[in-house]
Amino acid sequence: MEADKTPVCQMHEALMSYLYDEATPEEIRRVEYHLTECSACKQDITAFGQVRSMLQQWQVDDFPFVRISAASDDRPRRSQLEAFKSLWSVAPMWMKAFGAVAMAVLVLAVMGTELSVGRDGLSIKANLFGWNKAPQIAPGPATNTDEARLEEIRAELKNVVNSMIAENERQQKEEMKARLVSLESQLQTAHEADLAKLAARIQEQRARLKSLERDIDRREGTALSDILFSEVPETPGPRRPSERGGD
Amino acid sequence: MSDTQIIERTLGGEPEAFNTLVRRWERQIYGLTLRMLGRDEEARDATQETFLSAYRNLSKFRGDSKFSSWIYRIAINICNTKLRSRARGVVSLEEQKDLNGFEIAADLHDLSDSIQQEQVATHVRRALQGLPPEMRQVIVMKEYEGLKFAEIADILGIPLSTVKTRMYTGLSELRKRLEHLREAV
Repeated sequence: MEADKTPVCQMHEALMSYLYDEATPEEIRRVEYHLTECSACKQDITAFGQVRSMLQQWQVDDFPFVRISAASDDRPRRSQLEAFKSLWSVAPMWMKAFGAVAMAVLVLAVMGTELSVGRDGLSIKANLFGWNKAPQIAPGPATNTDEARLEEIRAELKNVVNSMIAENERQQKEEMKARLVSLESQLQTAHEADLAKLAARIQEQRARLKSLERDIDRREGTALSDILFSEVPETPGPRRPSERGGD
Repeated sequence: MSDTQIIERTLGGEPEAFNTLVRRWERQIYGLTLRMLGRDEEARDATQETFLSAYRNLSKFRGDSKFSSWIYRIAINICNTKLRSRARGVVSLEEQKDLNGFEIAADLHDLSDSIQQEQVATHVRRALQGLPPEMRQVIVMKEYEGLKFAEIADILGIPLSTVKTRMYTGLSELRKRLEHLREAV
């Protein structure tokens, strides 16, 4: 059969696309035209169709129950940067605000830092907001207007932080509620899947029983035990971990 | 919920969310490992190892390709490792007979439909096991997992043309090995 094939017959890729319905319209035309001329490829296509139907006779009926234990050592790990990113993304609003303020303070402190080398060695002076310069430029106590302004800013800041905390609490409550709804739906899905699995197994066993009954009817005179135990091959049906003992 | 969302939740501190992925993919992965390895016990171990490996390396999943492609790739690698270690061990003819379990009928015409189907399945299993792993994995992913040729190429990291060539050669090989069953089927 394959000896009939000419050396120029390089159609195997197109034949595969055609056989599995993945060919483009152009490929389909090309293959179908080729099949009218090449008996070897035509035989290939027919034989492969038969091979495919034989392959489909091997079906897996039973499946193992896979269980992943969430032991601490097995947990998926992230790099430190990834971990920081995810921590930042789930951090509450007030924490983000606090972090941003702290970062700004740090930057300003570094920008205003003075380095000097004197008799006492290296000295570093953080000139934060120029606060420690104030007495040098304008010695004496701060005025009442300054104090009132400072008080006003403090009160404003307090209000902002309080509103952020309240907003964050509200968001957390909403998230918790959504998570509960999702969990409930997951449970329901899992329950339904288990029921469907059970129903399928029962159906399968019934079909098998019917098939065996048919065999018995056909084979008059053959002992039931012969049919049940001598010719039915061992299926690759896996057992549940509970049956494996010690899994 | 999509696979990617489940992965995000697992990585976000909900390890139990991963079980949803396991339930979703365990059948396909077990089907793949069983047909690649041909032995139930080994296939179950490979399935377990696949999910455990995926769980441990979940943070490495980039999301560039589908989760299914990623986990199929892990399963294939685990199967290849098992097949390589099996190839290093010497299996005697007697052991091979034990692994196959029983002698199969040469003539299927006299058997009833259901028994005949099981006999054909056994012939198919043997024929598949006789193929080189690189051909077997393409046939298994195409025939039993229903993947597109492009997906198989992506999972195995080989050109599309190589996938089709392996498929063609594998089917030709199976055709020879299953020739005697054609009339029965």
